[in-house]
Order: sequence, then C-alpha cells, then structure tokens
Amino acid sequence: MTNLKTWCYHITSNARYCAVISLFGVRYHRFIRFRNRNLEGWMKKIVLISLAVIATAIMFSCSGKTEAKAPAAAGPAKITVWCWDPNFNGYSMKQAAEVYKKINPNVTIDIVDIPENIEGKIEAGLQAGGAGLPDIALFQDYIIEKFIKNYPGAFVDLKAEGVDYSKFAQYKLGPMSEGDKIYGIPFDTGSTGFYLRSDMVKAAGLNPDDYQKNLTWTDLIKLGEKIKAKTGKPFIAYDSTSFDFLRIMVQSTGSQFFKPDGSVDFTSPAMLKSIAYLKTLNDKGLLYMTEGWNNWIAAFNNGDTAGFLSAIWIIGTLKSKPENAGKWMVLPTPLVEGVPGAQNASNNGGSSWYIFSKSPNKAAAVDFLKKTWASEDPAALEFYNTILKGAGAMGTFLPSRSGSNYTAPDEFFYKNQAVYKDFSDWMAKVPNLLYTPNYVAMRDTVRNALNKMFSGELKTPDAVAAAAAAEYKQITGQ
Amino acid sequence: MGSSIFFKEFMVENKGRFHRYLNRVGWMYIVPALVMYCAFMLYPILSSLVLVTQKWRGFSKQFVGFGNFVRMSGDKIFWEALGHNFLFMAVQIPLMIMLALMLAVILNQGIKKFRGFFRVVYFLPCVTSLVAYSVLFRILLQTNGMLNNLLKDLHIILEPIGWLNNGFWAKITIIMALTWRWTGYNMVFFLVGLQNIDTEIYEAAEVDGASRMRQFFLITLPLLLPVILFSAVTSTNGTMQLFDEPNILTWEGGPSNATMTVALYIYRQAFVLNSDTGYAAALSYVMVFIAAILAFIQIRLMGGKDNERR
Repeated sequence: MTNLKTWCYHITSNARYCAVISLFGVRYHRFIRFRNRNLEGWMKKIVLISLAVIATAIMFSCSGKTEAKAPAAAGPAKITVWCWDPNFNGYSMKQAAEVYKKINPNVTIDIVDIPENIEGKIEAGLQAGGAGLPDIALFQDYIIEKFIKNYPGAFVDLKAEGVDYSKFAQYKLGPMSEGDKIYGIPFDTGSTGFYLRSDMVKAAGLNPDDYQKNLTWTDLIKLGEKIKAKTGKPFIAYDSTSFDFLRIMVQSTGSQFFKPDGSVDFTSPAMLKSIAYLKTLNDKGLLYMTEGWNNWIAAFNNGDTAGFLSAIWIIGTLKSKPENAGKWMVLPTPLVEGVPGAQNASNNGGSSWYIFSKSPNKAAAVDFLKKTWASEDPAALEFYNTILKGAGAMGTFLPSRSGSNYTAPDEFFYKNQAVYKDFSDWMAKVPNLLYTPNYVAMRDTVRNALNKMFSGELKTPDAVAAAAAAEYKQITGQ
Repeated sequence: MGSSIFFKEFMVENKGRFHRYLNRVGWMYIVPALVMYCAFMLYPILSSLVLVTQKWRGFSKQFVGFGNFVRMSGDKIFWEALGHNFLFMAVQIPLMIMLALMLAVILNQGIKKFRGFFRVVYFLPCVTSLVAYSVLFRILLQTNGMLNNLLKDLHIILEPIGWLNNGFWAKITIIMALTWRWTGYNMVFFLVGLQNIDTEIYEAAEVDGASRMRQFFLITLPLLLPVILFSAVTSTNGTMQLFDEPNILTWEGGPSNATMTVALYIYRQAFVLNSDTGYAAALSYVMVFIAAILAFIQIRLMGGKDNERR
C-alpha cells in the first residue's frame, strides 16, 4: 500500500509540476485565473480517474495473489519456476514435476522459459519488492553470489528447512552458502575433461590407450607436439572470447581468483603456472584460435583440431556429428603440476535452484524441491537417471550416481567409454571456487589480458596478471 | 456528456469564457500524454539525478556525492571508449558520406537501367536486423573465415588478417560494418537532394563550358550541403550511441576493449558486471552532455548555412 501512495504522490505532483512549467512561459496571469477556477477541479477529476484505474488494477493483481497465498504445502498450489532452456533445465524440472505429481497431486508446477536476460528480470523484480517474481528460479553458479550479497534475505535458507547437503557434490555448495545458511538446491555439474580424437593420436603413430589416464599438462603438450608434427593439425581449439580454459585450469588446483576479503588475486602460483602453460601452448602453435562459440564448436566438430578442453555438457554438441562416432575419447582434466592440492578434476558451468523468500507458496516450493531434487526415494533417483539420458543433464546429488544410465557404456565414444561414469567420478573431486559479486568483471579482464598475450603485446605471465589487475581496478572502481 | 456541460457554461457566460473553454478542451487533450510523459520520462530523468550520487548495489544504497564522477575521471576504459567513439566518428562518417555521394551521383546520372534495383540493393543493409548482420559478419571475418580465405587464394595476403582478434583490424572491421550498413541509407537522401537540383543550372553551366568535375564541385556539392549536413548530424548521433556492432560483431568491445564504446560500457556497468546502476547513470549523464554539445554545434552549423542560402 505504501507503494501505491508514493506512486500517486509522484503522479499528482509531477502532473502539476508539468502543467505549471508549460503554462508559465506562455501566459502567467492567465494561468493564475485558470488555476483558481478550473485546473484544480479538472486535475482532481483526472487524478481520481487514474487513481480508480490504478486501484482496480491493483485490486485485480492482489486478488490473484491472495488466491495463491492461502494454501500451505498440503492444499492446492501453483508453483512457478523460471529457467532458460526447455531442452535442458526446463526438461529436467518437468521430470521433477512428474515425480512430485504422484507425491502431492494438489500442487501444479508451472515451468516458464525465460530465454533472455533472466537475471535482469529477477533483479527488477527484487528491486520492486518481489513483484512479478516466480517461486523458484534457476541461477548460474557464477552469478548467484552477486544476488546473495546484493539482495540479503532474498532467498529461502534451505538448510534451515532441513535439506541434507552432505549428499551433494561439495563444490556446488560454496557459491550458494553465506555463513551457516545455504540457499539453493544444486542442479547440474560442469565436470570437465579433455576431449581427444583417438584417430589423430593413431595417425601420429601413438596408441590412444596409453593416454587414457591422469596426465599432466606437460604430458599433454608433448602429445600435442607429436600430433602436430605428424598430422600438421593444431592441437587444441581455443575460444578467444571465453575465459573457460584458464578457469578450468585454476579451479582444478583448488586455488582462487579472489582472496577471502573479495579482492582479486592474480599472482597465485596456480594462476601464473596456468598462464605459463597457455603461453607455451600458444608459442608452440598448438592452439587453434577461434573467435566465439560457434566457430569453436565448428573447429573440433569438423576435425580441424585433435582436442579441446570442456565440460560434460558439450557431449550433446559432439553427438550432433554422428560421423565422428567412435573417434572421441575423454581424458581426465590434465594436472597443473607443482601446485599443492591440484586435482585431475575441475568444473565449468552449472546452475542451481533457488526459492524467493517473498514467494507466497514458499512451503509448497520447499516441499517440492526437497522431495524431488534432494531425495533418496527410488522414484527421485530414477528421475535423475531419466534427465541424464533425456537431456544429458548430470545432477550433483551423489546418491543418484548409481543409476543405470550413469554406468552405461556409450557407443559414441572410442572403445565405448562410459563417459558419464567418468565425469561423475571426477565431479566428486572438484575443488570449490569462490566467485564473489565481481566474478564477471574478473573473468572479462583476465580474458582480455590473455588475448593481449596471444597477440604478443604481453610477454610474461606476470605481465598478464598485472594487466588484468589494472583493468579490473578500472572497471570495478576498487 | 462533458462537452454539454461546457456548452451550457459557454452559453451562459460572457465571451471571454470561450477562450477558457478552448483552453480547457486543449488541456483535456494533452493531459493523458502529459501524465504518461511525466510518469515515464520526466520522473525517471529527475530521479536519475539522485541515482548518480549513489553507490547502489541491490538493496543497499550509499550516498557518495560526486564519487561516481571522481571514479569516472580515473577510469581509463571509459576514456578509451570515448576515444573510440570519436575515432569512429572522424573516420567512418566522412568515408561513408563520400561513398554515398559517389553512389548517388552515379545512380542519378550514370546508370539509366536498373536504377530502382540498385537503389534497393544499397538501401537493404540498413533494414536488416542488427544482430543478424553482426553475426553474419562475424562468420565471414573469422581468422579462417571466407574473407581471409578469399584474400589468401587471390594471393593478396600471406597470413590471415585478425579482423576480430587484432585491436587495429577490429576497429577497421567496425568501420567497414558501419559503412556497409549506412551508406545506402544516406545515399537515398542524397538522391532526393540531387533530384531537387534544377537541371537548368547544369545546362547553364554547360553553356558556359564548365566541365563535369567543375559542375560537381561548384553546383552539386554546394546545393547538396544541407542534405550532407543532415546526414552528418544523424550519423554523429548514431555513432555516439554505437552499441550493437562492438557488442556482437567484435564481441563485448573486444579484442581486449579495442572497440569498446561508451554506450556499450554503460550497458556493461549497469547490467553485465556488478549492476553498478549509479555509475552507469553518471556515465550516461556525461554522454548526454557530450551529445548535447555536438548537437548544439551542428544546429548552429546548419542554421548558419541555411540563413546564408536565403
């Protein structure tokens, strides 16, 4: 109601202000007479009419809300979910809704596809005090810290609601936690691996099976040189508009881009070492530079390169080229040597579900997420199995990894590699990454500095780190 | 119903009432638009004046006074972006106007057949979708894209040119793309302008023995000057607000901010980076200020020329 009042105040005061200005210049005395006699009256009428219109509009929208407000978890309720890919996360949520239909048929789940700028829409909704927001929304893991920090209290603390977080891949919990509170239900993993064309390894006179193990980046660079010498093809497709490659390297070491106080840390051993690897790869001509996502995909799908570094979710794109069946193999993420804590596992991408505290159906939404995404009930585990097969979406709920689709051999890959089993094994080892609200600024500045290194403008990893830090300072003002 | 009340009043009262009646009716007509204007234009503009003094992150607002402007004065990326705007303006607009003028003269005098066809062909780029053409240009200009392959096959270049990943060439790419898109649009204005020039003037010049070249520089160009100025003004405004090409074609103002523009930087500050609405608003005010100065100069320029002609 306070909103309404302020609005009316603004409308009336602005209208008067405008009227005064537009009349003032023309004829002042006329205005005074006019004002005394008629203007007030007419203004009042017009304001009253617009008030009436606004009031009816608000009444209608309110009545819509009260209708939904009444029921708790047990009664009929409609839960609205926002996500952005009907073939991936939308599909997965739909499967979860199917499971929940059997548990609580009174609750309907309405899944809305927001293909563009979902964060902007949510931000506008939060600024408007929760108006127009859904009950549940999907957030990228890299963006959620910005929301948690900038909008305190916007999300429901699900740990307090009794979700058992020990059952989820632990690296997913970092971005969604704040002190003792945990706000989200983890959705998919971006578990990473190195994709390699076994036929090109063979063409270089080597046995692909020798490389199906934990490698270091040095091992991989040697392999790349051999392949390039024999086949003439550059080794790795690299997207120069993206930061993913370095992110995967650094996250695999357990190091961070940010210090705990939120300032950037570009001079960690892991960071400098990873940049040095990239420099070596580039200097030896092993990188095939592409500008943008589509060109990058075309490069490895058309066989211009022998490999690339990416996450589990690229498998669907690989399979869109059936003629490559039997050629691809996936190695564990190569190891960054000399950094304590480094793993042959990393992550790139992934998102999670969040419930807004302003949601009128909070209880129902919590119950829904708990009984589907965070339940060891056989039906829930089977649902995880379904979305892996149906959408290639690998959940991060660890008990689900026993599902039949997780362990099944995949004919598309070299020697029917059971890639999903491998990715889920690596997923459990992924170190946590700190994003902070400035992740996007950090990401873009490091990408820009790396591109300056590739173009020869910056010569050493230290120079790259310094350039990135300088630009970061400029664009964040910190 | 309302008007019958007015009518009664009008009948009963004296003559001076009539004007007031008209005034009232006039007000009734403009009030809806006025209310809309105030609610959705004036109010946001006025409240953005408050915004520039804030450091605003989500639910927390903090008054920083001129802090955003201080930060701006030290923001190299912003000044570079502003420089790029002026660079594109200084290089691309003259280039485009010369090309458009050439095409217009050729279409007006040289080509008799298929004139309509050429007019459409040159005009088409500016009605294509910004995003679609940016994406297409991206594909054509990639390191291993069609243009580089073509140039290599023709032995014009040895190594592929980094149209998108080299700072210098990326600027050329933006200039090329803008020229491709807007030349035809300006050409149409010039064509109309040319058709409005009286042929008798040319006949007289011909009788006096003026060459085609002299006719162009001494008749066509001066008489077309108002149109050229109009083109320059609209193009300047467009270049000042340049956004889509650096965002999509060279990808987020890349490589490494080499094609960053002010509009794109404002957008990134407000919506892509850490939702820095106050800073973005402050940047917008500076841009409005610069645009206002440019507009003022141009209006003076146009007005001056106009008076001279009369």
